[in-house]
Amino acid sequence: MAEVILKHIKKIYPNIESKKKKKGEPEKKKNNLLVTEEGVLAVQDFNLEIKDKEFIVLVGPSGCGKSTTLRMVAGLESISGGDLLIDGKQVNDVEPKDRDIAMVFQNYALYPHMTVRGNMEYPLKLKKMDPNEIKRRVEEAAEILGITQYLDRKPKALSGGQRQRVAIGRAIVRDPKVLLMDEPLSNLDAKLRNQMRAEIIKLRQRIDATFIYVTHDQTEAMTLGDRIVIMKDGVVLQIGTPQEVFDHPINTFVAGFIGMPQMNMFDAELQEAGGKYSVKIGDVAIPVSEDKQARLQKNGVKSQPITLGIRPEHITLAQEGEPCLTGTISVCEMMGSAVHLHADAYGKDTIMIIQTMNLTDEEKNGISIGNKIDFTFNGNMVHIFGKDGANLES
Amino acid sequence: MSKAISEQGAVGGKLANRIINILLVIGCLTIAFPLYMTVIIAFKQPSEMTNDVAGALAFPKSWSLSNFAEAMEVTDFWRSLGNSLLLTGATVVICILIHSMAGYLIGRKLAERKAFKAFYFYLISGMFVPFAVLMMPLVKQTAEIGIANRFGVIVLYVVFFMPMNVLLYSGYLTNIPKALDEASHVDGAGVWQTFWRIIFPNMKPMHATVAVLTAMSTWNDVMTPLVIMSGTDQNTLPLAQLNFQTQFGTNYNLAFASYLLALLPILIFYVICQKQIINGVVNGAVK
Repeated sequence: MAEVILKHIKKIYPNIESKKKKKGEPEKKKNNLLVTEEGVLAVQDFNLEIKDKEFIVLVGPSGCGKSTTLRMVAGLESISGGDLLIDGKQVNDVEPKDRDIAMVFQNYALYPHMTVRGNMEYPLKLKKMDPNEIKRRVEEAAEILGITQYLDRKPKALSGGQRQRVAIGRAIVRDPKVLLMDEPLSNLDAKLRNQMRAEIIKLRQRIDATFIYVTHDQTEAMTLGDRIVIMKDGVVLQIGTPQEVFDHPINTFVAGFIGMPQMNMFDAELQEAGGKYSVKIGDVAIPVSEDKQARLQKNGVKSQPITLGIRPEHITLAQEGEPCLTGTISVCEMMGSAVHLHADAYGKDTIMIIQTMNLTDEEKNGISIGNKIDFTFNGNMVHIFGKDGANLES
Repeated sequence: MSKAISEQGAVGGKLANRIINILLVIGCLTIAFPLYMTVIIAFKQPSEMTNDVAGALAFPKSWSLSNFAEAMEVTDFWRSLGNSLLLTGATVVICILIHSMAGYLIGRKLAERKAFKAFYFYLISGMFVPFAVLMMPLVKQTAEIGIANRFGVIVLYVVFFMPMNVLLYSGYLTNIPKALDEASHVDGAGVWQTFWRIIFPNMKPMHATVAVLTAMSTWNDVMTPLVIMSGTDQNTLPLAQLNFQTQFGTNYNLAFASYLLALLPILIFYVICQKQIINGVVNGAVK
């Protein structure tokens, strides 16, 4: 149980002399990361206050700095700047063993020469805990994770899912203040991943720890986190609850990253006439909802070319006489309760999710590759981004 | 068409197999022949030694152990064996303890710090210094500081084997994921505990390799004990076996009997260690 505060945390990997940016030379980028005179900036100005028992998920594409941030919290990576506080105590230079944290590694990192019991006992033995208490804790954790029958096996005799449970068991048996998880499910197959995700949700309710979880899978981030931190190129783009991030993405990157299938982006026009805004794609103009009108007005947004974001689930088939966009169906994926359609519309591959139970037989028959499709969207459900990618409503 | 090609391929494959088999047989003979000669000469009486090929290759007239008994007496076998065991045992244990530690530190830090890289190359360069160059200064220095004895020889062995062993250990560390060290640190262990509790047990196959290489080199070494411990009455087996070479000739029957006796302990040690040299010991550690 602990509050974790990251204040202006940054991580710089010093370059070798020849690659270092010379004084006065303009800043350049290496793998999209900023290179300064000091070196490559892997994490820039990371600020976050994590409340006691909160479940925070750091999410972003590979190389965005999420694992580096987690490793800095663990003490496995030095902090180049800023303050890291656990329970109000600055721990920048505190050894990992003295931080009272536990970590689950992406590749399990089980000790191969020890049995499952040995692996789980190890951190407790290091604390010189009473043997009876060690036994009780190990058996309790094994019970929670359903690995009691494997306690006397070596890791090599376990499946991937069982190994992952042991790794989690080794972490929770210590009753740590903070539990760190670095892509713990990424080595598991899809079915097992779903199962383990549910297990982590249950586990979270049973143990009193602050969780920091790293993943590149937006589904894991949305389902597990109390709050999500979305990172890109070492920079925090947005922090919010899953619903906030889904409903109000701060820019086109976040909008595209969160949500499956990803948000459709159209080149469109924002038109303002007499204080009323509407969006125009091709020849079709659709007024935006009242609350969006108010936000755009408040921000003093003028008529301009925009990127219009519409989530696939917010697109509907157009009714007779309704203003609509037209596309040609290129891919049709039947999922049972819904059909995922890809249509070529206005030079973009547009994805839409159509619920099949609301369709008439005639409409169902019309859904086939090569057919024209008329679709529309609710003005309340669109996301309006400037051409620089920033959300004009926020 | 394809059948013809596959038949051609099969014929080529068979021919290659035959050549490989012949080479292997020749290889086995080159190893087995000297061993055969050692065994039969060890059992022959000096009177049975002849210059003709058939006589030299023939079995002894009677299989007697008298040569072995005499060789044991001449070499003061049990005392020499004790000295050899002491030197070899102590060297192997100290080498495993010290060199694994050095190998761990250097291996883990090699990529991170230039200083370790420089130190690593400095150590490895020791492999290319011939003993003959060091011999005279070492004799003088060990005598001066009063370690011209078994202790001094052990110290020298530990130093001599360091380059090779550090190379082996630091290379083997690439098989042990760094995540194990990190997991151990997060679990509450310091560097020392991590090494002894996690890394050291996982280097078992390399310990066996190092033990075999070090033990064989130490057991068979004549030069170092000869120049350092001469006149101390602490002969090792190879030193004692020099007794068979006299100004007027060599008693091959006794010498070979003694060589066979000296071979046994190291052979048993090799067989024990060989079982430990198995791959995949870290299976299950990571994905």
